[in-house]
Amino acid sequence: MQNTLSNSVLSSRRDFLKKMAAAAAMTAAATMFPGIIFAAEQEKNIPNAANLDWKKGPCRFCGVGCGILVGVENGKAVAVKGDPNSSVNKGLLCVKGYHQTMCIQAKDRLTHALVKKNGTYVKTPINEALDLVASKMKETIESHGKDAVAMYTSGQSTIPEGYIASKLMKGAIGTNNLDCNARLCMASAVTGFLTTFGADEPMGCYEDIDHADYFITWGNNMAEMHPVLFSRMLEQKSRRGAKIIDFATRTTRSSTASDRSILFEPQTDLAVANAICYEIVNNGWVDKYFVENHCNFSKGLTNIGYGLEDNFSFTDKPEKIDFAAYKEFLEDYTPEKVAKYSRVSVKDIKYLAAIYGDPNKKVVSYWCMGMNQHTRGTWINNLVYNIHLLTGKISKPGNGPFSLTGQPSACGTAREVGTFTHKLPKGVVTNEENRKLAAKIWKVPVERIPSKPTYHATEMFRAVDRGDIKFIWTQATNPLVSLPKTSRYRPAMQKDSCFVVVSDVFPTPTSDVADVILPASWHIEKSGLYGNSERRTQYWDKMVEGPGETTPDAWMFIEVARRMGYGDLFPYSKENHVEEIFNEYRQFHEGAKHGMAPLEVLKKESGAIWPYVDGKSTQWRFNEEFDPACKKGSGFDFYGKPDGRAVIWQRPYEPAPEVPDKEYPFWLDTGRVIEHWHTGSMTRRIPVLNQAMPHAYVEFHPDDAKALEIRNGELIKVTSRRGSCVLPASINERGLPTKGQVFVPFFDENMMINDVTLDAFCPISKEPDFKKCAVKVEKA
Amino acid sequence: MKKRLGIISLFVILFIAFIAVWSYSYQIGLEEAYIPLEDDNSGIKVIPSESGVFERSQFALDYAEMPIDEAHQRSLKTYYNNRAYHGAPPSIPHPVANERSLGGNTCLQCHQNGGFVEKFDAYAPVTPHPEMVNCRQCHVAQKSNTLFKPANLVKVNAPEVGDNNALMGSPPMIPHQIQMRENCLSCHAGPAAPKEIRVTHPERVNCRQCHVPTDKPVSEIKAFTRTNSN
Repeated sequence: MQNTLSNSVLSSRRDFLKKMAAAAAMTAAATMFPGIIFAAEQEKNIPNAANLDWKKGPCRFCGVGCGILVGVENGKAVAVKGDPNSSVNKGLLCVKGYHQTMCIQAKDRLTHALVKKNGTYVKTPINEALDLVASKMKETIESHGKDAVAMYTSGQSTIPEGYIASKLMKGAIGTNNLDCNARLCMASAVTGFLTTFGADEPMGCYEDIDHADYFITWGNNMAEMHPVLFSRMLEQKSRRGAKIIDFATRTTRSSTASDRSILFEPQTDLAVANAICYEIVNNGWVDKYFVENHCNFSKGLTNIGYGLEDNFSFTDKPEKIDFAAYKEFLEDYTPEKVAKYSRVSVKDIKYLAAIYGDPNKKVVSYWCMGMNQHTRGTWINNLVYNIHLLTGKISKPGNGPFSLTGQPSACGTAREVGTFTHKLPKGVVTNEENRKLAAKIWKVPVERIPSKPTYHATEMFRAVDRGDIKFIWTQATNPLVSLPKTSRYRPAMQKDSCFVVVSDVFPTPTSDVADVILPASWHIEKSGLYGNSERRTQYWDKMVEGPGETTPDAWMFIEVARRMGYGDLFPYSKENHVEEIFNEYRQFHEGAKHGMAPLEVLKKESGAIWPYVDGKSTQWRFNEEFDPACKKGSGFDFYGKPDGRAVIWQRPYEPAPEVPDKEYPFWLDTGRVIEHWHTGSMTRRIPVLNQAMPHAYVEFHPDDAKALEIRNGELIKVTSRRGSCVLPASINERGLPTKGQVFVPFFDENMMINDVTLDAFCPISKEPDFKKCAVKVEKA
Repeated sequence: MKKRLGIISLFVILFIAFIAVWSYSYQIGLEEAYIPLEDDNSGIKVIPSESGVFERSQFALDYAEMPIDEAHQRSLKTYYNNRAYHGAPPSIPHPVANERSLGGNTCLQCHQNGGFVEKFDAYAPVTPHPEMVNCRQCHVAQKSNTLFKPANLVKVNAPEVGDNNALMGSPPMIPHQIQMRENCLSCHAGPAAPKEIRVTHPERVNCRQCHVPTDKPVSEIKAFTRTNSN
């Protein structure tokens, strides 16, 4: 059935050589790279790509959502190029994008269902495996109740997949035990948007890059994590003199490319953001008209905890305040006071404030995991919105806060379809109106949809550990590498008390503990839709056949639902289920505030931005000039809130739950590298990327390395109160953490740094903080 | 006697002053020769294996607009001919102005930013590591074409253009070591760049967004293996 990897590499190499010989290829290179003209010498060995069939779709990897064209020859994907018609990337991709299809023929691809029998995995026909999954699920519900089964999905699931998961769990079975890995990456952005604006997702779009004078990145290494957007920023920098300011805890490739790099002590971003507001308020830089007409002031509870104990719960109590009270609160955050513990100089704080405060400069703030994976993630999101609201720099071309996403459909699936425990495709389970709408479209009794949220991601795996959850099904994600404190959750998943089903494309440490492994189709082996960070929905058609019995995730859900007796709720056809599901789902969002483009449009164009009203994408929400949903004559209308006003939140600085001390003297920060994506299960199977970044490492500041007498490449044991991990040291290479901090990328399943991290989370968003815990280091 | 003491003490003072001035200037001289590895006081910190990535990006638009001087182009062949093997430091194919200099400003006059040199009828190649001023530590002059004794040197095949892509049409990989060569534009853009490897899109500057190095030195770590394979 399959070639071995080395064979396929060899044969593609042979093809390649053949093609080289055949190549007269003058036009070939020009078709590969639109807009780039090749000199005759440069293209003489490039093969002719004239007989390729190019198919359009979004990239499989990060949340930027670049348009790709996949070259298909004889039913195999053999080339990838950027889609020149996509306004996101305009024909450009990154290292991962260009090589993405290379992993699908990996030798260890999951091509058939595997069922664990007496400790070994037995190849099983997919129908039998799905029978087993359905009967186990049914049995568990019968003997332990609905809330004993759970599903953990992904921001990499397509929109139809997320929708069917939600319909199955909430509509058919009637449990809110559905959460997804976007809880680990986007939840704080969501609660940030909801608390400030009452409506999720950014108001602006990528076109802001073409208008802004300043880009301020908050704890965000865009050169590696969102490289295509960063290149668009660099282009504006060299053509228009736009400036990039990098505000971070680590010196990275982004810092070297920026006009100014400002480093801060972990967790003090809260204080610096407030200090910027202090400067804005006290220098008279407040846009008074905007604040008086479009904003309210509120405060919430303080000292809100860190969620370290099981069954932790927290509900904020918002309380309206006035501007005078807010101004008084800011007195604690003068640049002089904040400089003392943030390690950011007074001059730098004033510099940042002056940029935001200058009415003639357009500013966009970008952030991703640095602000979201934060025990005060919701707060820091609120605080950056405060800066933009106070200065009125929001919802205008080139002005606005922009929360980036990490997964291709974190917005489209996790947030819009709502594969969270508290969410419904429109609204939340706690709202009766929202439940009624869902019940109507799903054709189920409204009482079946429970009104109380249950487990968020971290708590879900704690419940597995406690034995409360007896059946869990994960899809398109790898929690035993990506969860914090895997040292607790790996043994939890191995317990006999819980039946584990894993749907994936490749074997992972999560599938290693599964009772049933289901072979999923990869991205281009099925049709689907993704939604990117700028609210752009993108459709693609199936491009190639998947190997063996691989099946799209949505279809596996439908098959299981039918076997459980919910067939009447899932009347979709195998060939056309993606279209049928999307058309059903679109009904949830009808109207000017979230209308989605019809499928015919999405098939033709390289995506469309919602709200899609009267055949037009809405690029800037809440601004009457661009957004037809705004009240007439309002100028700006934050219609997510009943009174149309955004909230400026009074949020203090509170320390991290675990800070370096004598025994554990270093901060541990974790993150990514440009070559690898998520847990590396895909990118590490792409030979070029694996060669460029073969394993994880632990980065030191050169002074720390010198003091500890650590050489580059030496094996170092990183230990916290929860676990340890051995990695080679990296000094002065890809990045440079601040003194007293070490950095480890988390993609490497051989060096699991998440055994070391802490499962503390933001009490409001329940998103864990992977960026801060205390560790000690010693030579291994 | 008093007079003599006065003269002696005057000479002693002069001698001490001489020692002080001499050792001070000696210390200053030492400081000059020291090349700091880390630049802490500027806004941007240095990352030696990555630091040069954006180094010449301020010239990117100039590079993009530069007309091509067909008559004086270098080719990959002459480029490789000037090296002992692929990856070796290029030798100096012209007489050196100041034989006693270790390089530094003498070489940087032409090789820091390039430009046409009338005397050699060629464009000076731009060095990717102008901060390393002891040029002749690695770069040797070529004064003769004869050999002391013939040898059986095996020449490693240098990478060629156009067969260096992981997928058909994907951006070519970087087939050489990155250290001291992180600044791509210095060799891949401008009139001295060999025509086959001259980049057609220098304005993109963030080269390693799309081009992956294949030459990464791997630490002694066992290969990626599953502990629990199916």
